[in-house]
Amino acid sequence: MTQWHPHPDQLVEFAAGSCRAGVSIAISVHLHYCTQCRQMLSELESTSAVLFEQQAPAPVANTAFASLMERIEREPAPSSAPAAKPQAPSRFPRALATLMPDSLEQLDWNQPMKNLRVTRLLDDGDLIIGLHHMKAGGRVPNHQHRGEEISVVLEGGFSDQLGSYAEGDFIRRSGKDTHSPQADAHEDCLILSVVEAPVKLTGPLGWILNPFLKA
Amino acid sequence: MAGAPVISILSAKKASNMTEASQAAQQWSDCLEAVARRQDVPAFEQLFNHFAPLIKAFALSSGLNRSGDHLPDELVQEVMLAVWRKAATFDRRKAAASTWIFTIARNQRIDMLRRLRKHQNDLPADDIWELEADSDLFGEVRQSRVQDQVRDRLSDLPVDQRQVMAKVFMEDKSHQEVAEEMDLPLGTVKSRVRLAMKKLKLSLEAFDL
Ligand SMILES: [Zn+2]
Repeated sequence: MTQWHPHPDQLVEFAAGSCRAGVSIAISVHLHYCTQCRQMLSELESTSAVLFEQQAPAPVANTAFASLMERIEREPAPSSAPAAKPQAPSRFPRALATLMPDSLEQLDWNQPMKNLRVTRLLDDGDLIIGLHHMKAGGRVPNHQHRGEEISVVLEGGFSDQLGSYAEGDFIRRSGKDTHSPQADAHEDCLILSVVEAPVKLTGPLGWILNPFLKA
Repeated sequence: MAGAPVISILSAKKASNMTEASQAAQQWSDCLEAVARRQDVPAFEQLFNHFAPLIKAFALSSGLNRSGDHLPDELVQEVMLAVWRKAATFDRRKAAASTWIFTIARNQRIDMLRRLRKHQNDLPADDIWELEADSDLFGEVRQSRVQDQVRDRLSDLPVDQRQVMAKVFMEDKSHQEVAEEMDLPLGTVKSRVRLAMKKLKLSLEAFDL
């Protein structure tokens, strides 16, 4: 059971489907590890279903059902297609499976310091989704965050002044937080990060604040 | 089994409404199973007649029609096609039928809206929203209790809370977007949703005694 969770407002937007893609991926990864949030999500979806059924119905054309049945007869179900290419079970939750190559070494890493490497997985407009990989026991110097940042621990664990985090933990940081994370001593720590796209870099540690900046 | 104590603490009128709703829920589950087991077209037509106008309303509420008049009907077709094809994966022990259909509609709408916004690199919504099934065999009982309770309490919510709930849950709008549209502070929108959730959930906790 993880200790750090998305804010309930974020789960509401996830259930409704209105949250930004980057955030929804981070939440989905957390849900993989967290029974408590899955339970909450199930309640939110049940609530949505009631609101869904209470909408004023919008009439559909009389012919709609017939044309659907025609289509069903015309188009063979592709149900066997996905089963035809069984994939090796990924070591990562489903939301990440398609973003991750077979081996982490296939990713295009940036190594801003000895203990830390970073890479981008996906650009989602104003959000960037990437990975932080900290060497076992490695520490990143004290720095401040700019804008919102979400981290979800995928493997290993780390700690900072505000707490310690294990697999599945969903950590929210805002611009005011200063921290100096250190990976657990016994294994490397792999973290999924969702950060706001950098506007500009400030300070010598800028590349840590927004390590996904291309320039 | 779980019905008796639930009904005993409610007024007769509410209890009879809830029984009706529960019976309807059973009926939709039966229909989905008939589609899955023997591709039962009349059962599918019943589902279509009930859910298609709701899916269309759900499409309209997100303004899908502004991107093309045909899109709400297209969403209806896509969702009901998925219902037909995926019916075998419906498990009444894990989900209520209306919740299962809602999640398909939500995911299909997300995909359609993202295609329209020309997002690149986007994953199919099913990859993000379809979670590994929980091994929770009491799902239907709990979900139908949640649904009965929400249905019952929703009508007791103040209008401002109900309105915000409908927008946040149905219209593909973030709290921020709802705040802008209603010209309210973001904090007000969030607290109305939280208050409403609390009222709905408080009663749920009472049921779990
Ligand atoms: Zn959680």
